[in-house]
Amino acid sequence: MKFSVPMPLRLVLLVLGTTAFYMYLGQIVPQKESHPPPPVLINAEMTTEDLVAVGAELASGKGQCLVGCHTVGQSGPLRYPDLDGIGGRAATQVDGLSELEYLAQSLYEPAAFIVPGFADGMQAINQPPINLSDDEIKAVIAWLQSLGGTPNVTLDTDLGY
Amino acid sequence: MTRNRILFGIGVLAFVSVIVTVRLGGFLVDNEYRQPDRQVAAQEELGEAELVPRQQGIADEQAADEAEARARPYEEAEYRTVPFVGSRVTVWVLAQLHLLFAAFVLAVPLFAFIIEFVGYVKKEERYNKLAYEFTKLLSVSFSMTATFGAFLTFALIILYPKFTNYLMHIFSPTFLPYVLLFFLEALFLYSYYYGWGKFGPKMHLFLGFMLNVVGTAIMFIANAWLTFMMSPGKRDDIDGDGVPDFVSAVSESGALLSLRDAFFNFTWMPINIHRIIANVAFGGSIAAAYAAFRYLQAKTDEERAHFDWMGYVGNFVAIIAFLPLPFAGYYLAAEIYAFSQTLGIQMMGGTFSWLFVLQAALIGNLFLGANYYLWLGMGRMEGGVHFQKFIKWLLIAIALCFAVWATPRYAISSVSEIAAMGGSSHPQLSYLGQMSAKNTAVNILILSTYMSFLLYRRTGRQSIHPYRQLLTRAQAIVFSSAAALVIFYGVYGYFVDSATRIRFAIPQVYSVLAALVVITVIDLPLYRNAAQSGETKWGRIPAVSQYALIFIALSFTWLMGLMGYVRSGLRQEWHVYGVILDTSPDAYTPSLGFATQVVSVTVLVFFGLIGVVFWLSSLSGKKDYAPGAAPEDGGRLEGGQAA
Repeated sequence: MKFSVPMPLRLVLLVLGTTAFYMYLGQIVPQKESHPPPPVLINAEMTTEDLVAVGAELASGKGQCLVGCHTVGQSGPLRYPDLDGIGGRAATQVDGLSELEYLAQSLYEPAAFIVPGFADGMQAINQPPINLSDDEIKAVIAWLQSLGGTPNVTLDTDLGY
Repeated sequence: MTRNRILFGIGVLAFVSVIVTVRLGGFLVDNEYRQPDRQVAAQEELGEAELVPRQQGIADEQAADEAEARARPYEEAEYRTVPFVGSRVTVWVLAQLHLLFAAFVLAVPLFAFIIEFVGYVKKEERYNKLAYEFTKLLSVSFSMTATFGAFLTFALIILYPKFTNYLMHIFSPTFLPYVLLFFLEALFLYSYYYGWGKFGPKMHLFLGFMLNVVGTAIMFIANAWLTFMMSPGKRDDIDGDGVPDFVSAVSESGALLSLRDAFFNFTWMPINIHRIIANVAFGGSIAAAYAAFRYLQAKTDEERAHFDWMGYVGNFVAIIAFLPLPFAGYYLAAEIYAFSQTLGIQMMGGTFSWLFVLQAALIGNLFLGANYYLWLGMGRMEGGVHFQKFIKWLLIAIALCFAVWATPRYAISSVSEIAAMGGSSHPQLSYLGQMSAKNTAVNILILSTYMSFLLYRRTGRQSIHPYRQLLTRAQAIVFSSAAALVIFYGVYGYFVDSATRIRFAIPQVYSVLAALVVITVIDLPLYRNAAQSGETKWGRIPAVSQYALIFIALSFTWLMGLMGYVRSGLRQEWHVYGVILDTSPDAYTPSLGFATQVVSVTVLVFFGLIGVVFWLSSLSGKKDYAPGAAPEDGGRLEGGQAA
């Protein structure tokens, strides 16, 4: 005796089976919830060394610097310039701009100077959606200075912005 | 017989519901607290002045609650929650269901109008009947769209009152036109449907045309609301340095600066284009699924022939719209990148990167399903064996492209596997996970599917054009050149920097689009009045082909749900990107696994409801109830025909 699955049941099985298959695919890929970056507290007593640590935290969190954009110590085809050694070469990037002025300009006005070989695309990080405060930007600058240079920025430093 | 069973089932269900309701009510009443009889008697002796301790306690609690309510100042709620599922999932599912029905309601009139127009030009009644058959699905679907739209609006007002109020602040001038257009859409839709055969053909076509115009306008308004949330402004070179600057439509605090910029925001037109094409593809696939459903129910060859033809047309519409859809998607993604690199990187290289592997599996399945249906369809034609030898090569090409497209850059690996590979990416296979390989794969997939369609079109036909050999060779050269160009840029992409590599996608896309257009332009005269080697036997197709159509519709629906997640999830913790922060407990992007569960539930609910739409639509073809008459078996379509 030949058994035949009734048509309505076949349709139900097709719908359930296809949906379950796609849902299963969704379960086997890496799972990651993306939460808003935790707040980084900066207080007036922080030293330059403290700012370097806070800046590093901001770069991989709220500042989104290392989230798919810049790299540190990588070579090959890159989306944006690798930041390794930036603290050392910042003073020579643009004529007439000191190390601090160049780093501040690249964060507040990233389109003002584009490193040759790369495209424009970075957004000013004092504006939404990144929206870092001036103190947070000083912390990021301190971290950038620490990459191949000597950090000297403090919370009292005037960045000119 | 089936109708009697359904009516009997509904009767049983109603009876059981009444019994359960009565029993539940009785249970609740029986379990209510009651004072012991002796306490009532004792209280009667004491008089009304004294309350027993429990009554006193209840009275005190009520008084305290009232006093607290009076003392509490009015405070506008920012968020409210839904137990168990949460506010976000509630709004998510409702919005997706509304969108799926809306997409269907917008798409069906578009191709119903085109089919009716073709029938009018060709003077063939069968096209008119087919357009009417499609339109039958609209009436109930329109009600479903409106119902879910209202449900969604209420859910937003209740669950996200402050944010909804903000959107009203920005877009309130657009609400009245939206409602008026919705009213007009109802007017045109019902006059188009109920006026079939009641108006002259030109007047009826005009109604169909207006239905499409109004429906598209409605979608454009709604798209402005949702795209504003992603890109609240435009880009314009305001300082004249040649670099586009961001011009926000709202101030930093969210106050409206320009309704025009808020409405015609950066991603508005890319979404409009993408949605029109996607709606047609989705609508075609759902209409084809309806035809498949009716084909499987059919009792006569005449019905099978009619619904086979209808399924073929629905699927044809879906695939024709599906072919340019990746290009529209690419345009949308490029515009998102142009608006905000942060959003773009988040989409392709950040949280959502694995989603596109899943998308590749879905689109690969769609291509496989569509090609499989076309290959099975060759069996309808007498003399169709000639081209079947090419199918295996097409299958190999499609399967290879599918595999390349679904290969991730970074493999899911154990610690020991990572150690063996020397990293999280496979030393060889990771090359296939890069953009160059994926762009190449999708373009070859499109070319292969188009080739399947060309073979199907030629099956059982012989060109009588005087330059047929020359034109066929020209087509082959155009096809090969496009494929070679796509592969060339795909390989060359590995030897250039990323900015150049991304730009290579443009010549790849243009070469494929140009090939599709040129080959079609050549093919039309080439096979006009072609000699038929045999008759097309509509209805002579294996039943499995109909399940393939339903599988395609399912995959389309699932794909739309998945892409809805990425489009909305891209904003991350923002209600309006960069302007209004989401401070609710749901202010994070859920994992892909969770998202696929929500999408799956939505798809199942949608297919349950669309099943009701199919069933209700199929009732119109049945005979009227007549007391004493024999029950009808299956839905017999009056005037069904074979092409």
